[in-house]
Amino acid sequence: MSQTIIKQHIPREELLASGHLACPGCAAPIAMNLVLKALGPETMVVLPACCWSIIAGPWPQSSLRVPLFHTAFETGAAVASGIKAGLASRGDTKTTVISWAGDGGTFDIGLQALSGAAERNEDIIYFCYDNEAYMNTGIQRSSATPWGAWTTTTPTRDPEHHPKKDIMAIMAAHRIPYAATASVAYPVDLVEKVKKARTIRGTRFIHILAPCPPGWKTQNDETIELARMAVERRVFPLMEVENGGTWRFTVDHPGGSIEEYIRKQARFKHLTDDQVGLIQEQVDARWEILSNRVLHGT
Amino acid sequence: MSDHDVTRPKEIGRNIPPIAISETSTLVNPTGSWKYIMPRYEDRVAPCNAGCPVGIDIEGYMYLISQGRVKEAANLLVRENPMPAVTGRVCHHPCEHSCNRASLDEPVAIHSVERRLGDMILAAPPIPAPERTRRETVAVVGSGPAGLACAHFLARLGYGVTVFEAAPEAGGMLRLGIPEYRLPRAILDRQIERIAGAGIEIRTSTRIGVDIPWSDLDVFDAVFVAPGAHTGKDSRIAGAEGNEAVRPGLEFLKEVNAGARPDLGSRVIVVGGGNTAMDCARSALRLGADVTVLYRRTPREMPAIPLEVREARDEGVGFEFLAAPMAVVMEDGRFTGITCQRMELGEPDESGRRRPVPIEGDVFFAPADTVLTAIGEDCDLSFLPESVRTKWGLIEVDPVGESTSTPVFAGGDAVDMPRSVADALGAGKRAAIGIDHYLREKAGEAVGELPLGALRFGDGNVSAVRYLEDGDPIPREAPVNEVVTWDRMNPHHFHLAPRHEDHFHDATDLRAAFGETNFGLSEKEAIEEAERCLNCGVCNRCELCLIFCPDMAISRREDGGFEIDMRYCKGCGLCAAECPRGAVTMTREGI
Repeated sequence: MSQTIIKQHIPREELLASGHLACPGCAAPIAMNLVLKALGPETMVVLPACCWSIIAGPWPQSSLRVPLFHTAFETGAAVASGIKAGLASRGDTKTTVISWAGDGGTFDIGLQALSGAAERNEDIIYFCYDNEAYMNTGIQRSSATPWGAWTTTTPTRDPEHHPKKDIMAIMAAHRIPYAATASVAYPVDLVEKVKKARTIRGTRFIHILAPCPPGWKTQNDETIELARMAVERRVFPLMEVENGGTWRFTVDHPGGSIEEYIRKQARFKHLTDDQVGLIQEQVDARWEILSNRVLHGT
Repeated sequence: MSDHDVTRPKEIGRNIPPIAISETSTLVNPTGSWKYIMPRYEDRVAPCNAGCPVGIDIEGYMYLISQGRVKEAANLLVRENPMPAVTGRVCHHPCEHSCNRASLDEPVAIHSVERRLGDMILAAPPIPAPERTRRETVAVVGSGPAGLACAHFLARLGYGVTVFEAAPEAGGMLRLGIPEYRLPRAILDRQIERIAGAGIEIRTSTRIGVDIPWSDLDVFDAVFVAPGAHTGKDSRIAGAEGNEAVRPGLEFLKEVNAGARPDLGSRVIVVGGGNTAMDCARSALRLGADVTVLYRRTPREMPAIPLEVREARDEGVGFEFLAAPMAVVMEDGRFTGITCQRMELGEPDESGRRRPVPIEGDVFFAPADTVLTAIGEDCDLSFLPESVRTKWGLIEVDPVGESTSTPVFAGGDAVDMPRSVADALGAGKRAAIGIDHYLREKAGEAVGELPLGALRFGDGNVSAVRYLEDGDPIPREAPVNEVVTWDRMNPHHFHLAPRHEDHFHDATDLRAAFGETNFGLSEKEAIEEAERCLNCGVCNRCELCLIFCPDMAISRREDGGFEIDMRYCKGCGLCAAECPRGAVTMTREGI
């Protein structure tokens, strides 16, 4: 078979309703849709403050066809742990409890709760859909914002000058049973990872890159293309980490220049070619590190 | 699960503190009002369909094969092309030259798939003859591919058809000109039997103007003339006239193809670079001669099918490029060879190919026992009345083949068009449609203008299925008659897959064998090859649009297509951007 028959690998059940309030071309609902398809209806979602707090719809609406609990910014992993414990106390061991947080609620504000849950190996799946800034409050930088990017708090005269935090290394350091990166441009890989995570007990962490047209200053119809480029050009490699020690790439990453990926995003418009070269160096260096982890463990 | 079926607090427990609970879904929000541009499913035309001179829905039958509907695929193919077992073998497959897959890896081996389907059709019981629904009758002059195609489609349109063939057997150039090793006679016979069996009368050994006068055709309501081109052009080799060692190649081929095995001596020179030259060279090789092809330009300019050239070379045919024959050389009254003029390429001529110009004084001798000339053929149109206007020895026709003398239509090698089996078949099909339209109009039916543009695949040939049958056999969504180019496709969803190459006879034991050299593909290989088709421009239900729609606005329809709920579509354009085959278009119309 020479063509990708993706549909055979994607469950048909729709657990996300139309009419949600994501911007046109947003990757976040695509990610949620795929994750819920993979998890099925026996799922509860904990939602700390993030874009999805808006996307889910204002009270009294919900765009999810599974239970959804809105909670405070820093509490995603803690509330999910509590709900899981509550269900267990009632004898429900089947329902999957997930925390669904943005990069702000994961990399910055929710990191303490996440670290605590991971350290206790709480039986939850923690999803971070990462659009690389605080987007719904008006595009403020987070520690997931990449080096060189414009945000409203890192203006072009003084753009983001820290590289993106290595959240996968942090989670791996907790020795949780399963951590993975995933992409909306690779739906089969994403669904397979979520299905696999569902069969594992303990804290599982899945990091999904979610391109954001208004925040990245890109065209609405470029979301998937950008997510795909990020993987292909090794900006966002797709991998799995088991028990904090076994690193594995799950798709091919042909590599190549990141120039096109960067230049498609107007949040990088101010960068000189030399600066784009610096990003390339960072990407290459990180690829070296990751390749070593894959070859030799941590 | 309904959109209101979320777990209520009372089901969880009575003693929880007051908390805001959502009771409705976001379906109440008409977020589709945000859009300023919207998607529309619009199937387009695959370049192979437009590139096929016969007018075959190639993409359509490839799709059916990929769905496991192989019999339906064969059926669709034969409804557009009455002789797929022949064209699968001898067509120069321009479809493959226009195949978008070439930009990804290699074009789909369409000819191999066609051949396999064609052989399947020949092995299956024949379909019943079409019903005679029209009282008019049509005469067809010539039973080559153009004549047989025209007769076939006229019979399907309900007319009585009589074909007049000068030779003792039907087939025209397919039988007279194409050697057995490319087109086995058993295949040709069965294919013609099939066509003739469907209500067509073929009168062989009946040359118009010799055996019966042209005026005998007056009893027919229309005439389609496709006599072919049978007269070898003058070789202009000094001293060749009356010399038996210098012969028209086509005459030699006809002899061999009729079963004769003439003695050409041990050294044969073939003059020319087209398919007739290749056929002559490879036939002479099989008679035991050492063969050299003399061509006045370079391999790049050769009009022959590249595969034929390669096969000739593999079998041991020698090539002498940039050389033109000059004069016969006789020694003691015996033919010993020809002198040749060495050429070089100059400026491009009208055909776009660089013109060969002689290198002054550079002349060489090429020894030979026989020289076969294959530098083109002319038509004998002396049987036609003067009212049928000709230009440069070819019949002048309009797009459906109507000549200047109603109701005479013409096609094939006798009109100004590329000389190929596929082009002849396409001309026959067009003329059948043109004749039908003419006869219906004459009978007083309100037929209006012939919608020729809508019948074509893009700017390619016409579809008989579109003309004869109601609607497209494969449902296509809001079809737009525009060819999809590679830049409209999204290649990221395709995987590389090597092309299946035909299996060939071992070239080392070819000499003196006229058996078929190309065995094609096995059924399994042909199906795998069909699955390489990218279905350019046409939705094949891959569902990527559905998977990538952020707004869950796309749903499956019962008939297999998709529906976009415009109440929720925000017009982001991801469905159009990610559609692998360019079957979704963004439009501002109707917003």
